Amino acid sequence: MFESQTAPTYHLETVEEQENDFILNLGPQHPGTHGVLRVILHMDGEYILTADPVLGYGHRMQEKIAENMTWSQVLPYMARMDYLSALSYNQAWVCLVEKMCEYEVPRRAEYIRVLTTELNRISSHLLWFGAFLLDLGAFTPFLHAFEDRETLLDLLESLTGSRLTYCFFRFGGVGADVDAAFLRGAQDFVKQMHTKLPRYHELVTGNVIFRERTRDVGVILPFDTWGYGLSGPVLRGSGEQYDVRTSEPYSIYPELDFNVPVEQSGDCLARYLVRLNEIDESLKIIEQTLANMPEGPIKSKVPKIIKPPEGEASMAVETPRGELMIYAVSDGGKVPYRVKYRVPSFANLSIFSKMARGQLLADALAILGSLDLVIPEIDR
Amino acid sequence: MSLIETALNKHSLSPEPLEYSATGLHAKIVIKGDQLKPICRSLYSAGFFLETVTAVDNLSTEIMQGLWFFNHYKESSRLMIVIEASRKNPVFPSIGVLYPGAIWHEREAAEFFGITYEGSKDQRGLLLPEDVNFHPLRKDFKRPEHQITGIH
Repeated sequence: MFESQTAPTYHLETVEEQENDFILNLGPQHPGTHGVLRVILHMDGEYILTADPVLGYGHRMQEKIAENMTWSQVLPYMARMDYLSALSYNQAWVCLVEKMCEYEVPRRAEYIRVLTTELNRISSHLLWFGAFLLDLGAFTPFLHAFEDRETLLDLLESLTGSRLTYCFFRFGGVGADVDAAFLRGAQDFVKQMHTKLPRYHELVTGNVIFRERTRDVGVILPFDTWGYGLSGPVLRGSGEQYDVRTSEPYSIYPELDFNVPVEQSGDCLARYLVRLNEIDESLKIIEQTLANMPEGPIKSKVPKIIKPPEGEASMAVETPRGELMIYAVSDGGKVPYRVKYRVPSFANLSIFSKMARGQLLADALAILGSLDLVIPEIDR
Repeated sequence: MSLIETALNKHSLSPEPLEYSATGLHAKIVIKGDQLKPICRSLYSAGFFLETVTAVDNLSTEIMQGLWFFNHYKESSRLMIVIEASRKNPVFPSIGVLYPGAIWHEREAAEFFGITYEGSKDQRGLLLPEDVNFHPLRKDFKRPEHQITGIH
């Protein structure tokens, strides 16, 4: 199908100003932008002519910070980028360093990593579910989602010691072993979610108002996806079955049995369904890791001072928002020479100005919500 | 034949194969600046998606390496394209016309490294404050003394 496509021409949006047009400033502090994102909207009445996101309000220059830290000191900063899926970021960094230094990881540690990362993925999707529906004006689902998420946060807190910005993975293993109480808690949560997920569908998915607000709104056509470098549920809502966990398998994912949910319509409803189905698939993965959890050590011996050999390496993982790729260059020293974070939300937001054109303002907020943005990740 | 080889077939380039398990990259090519756009056109029609555009500054060799990362949805094939330029005044071609997603990545790399992306329709900064006059990821960057330039 690709051969028949030709490259589209891109023009910076400039619209001649008419008498009744006006500029609307959305954000930087607006409940609909979920963080400090500002969008300058050129409006014609209720309709958007152009939308120009302004970034950088939460910018901390993470890549420069990494150049001034040792390889292990960088690890806690990972959680500060995407605070909703800190463990995916943890995993990307430890896997990158393990790849460069060729460290071994015990099987039990890999299982604990996948188990906790998938729990973290569900908690991220649950927060998105609540917040997205809040954007659309539905308040009740928010309370339900947060009740379930609370169980998860308590569970992960008992293991990792923190509720949100986890720094739990270590080079060559994990920070702590799971105990019987945690495993029982995880099993109970899976059981609880299996009864709650159909109720979410009952409450929200079939709701007429919800469907009218999301169907055919913010459609991403399949031939826009690779030009903007989309990934994650935003891409899978447009019919492309791309998931780093299956396309570039890492950790124990090749041994696990799970599907990659895909929807074809590319609208807000499709992205919603992909994320809800992903919760189901994550539950499947958790069940498998719980059933097959091997015995053994949780950490292999690694040197105290980490000095990866001279060279370059990249590591990609699937976060709840899409493909995170870290590229690092080492000069053989204690500090990274250069670190580049390729974050999923950055690419996913870059298509927003194209999607928002010609939409109603209220729909633009639904579109922003459906992209599942974490602004500190974009700003880094 | 891998997707990368098929896409780059007509450019008579031989991508340097890398060990994927050690580097996470499937291939790397070092090209000249004027080859970038034709190569990107081939990659676009082959369905490669843009991962990121960035750079690496080398103080000792006085070289600024421009880096472009591509990958494919159907089959994992990460390709790194490298163009080398003098770090005094690095100029690279912009691929924003082909890959609209590249515009933001180029804006970011331009302000972090002081790179000019020739032909880019949007030359504004992206993440740094509007009034900065330094490029923080250049290796000779010194942190400026703290000064209040206004209320932001």
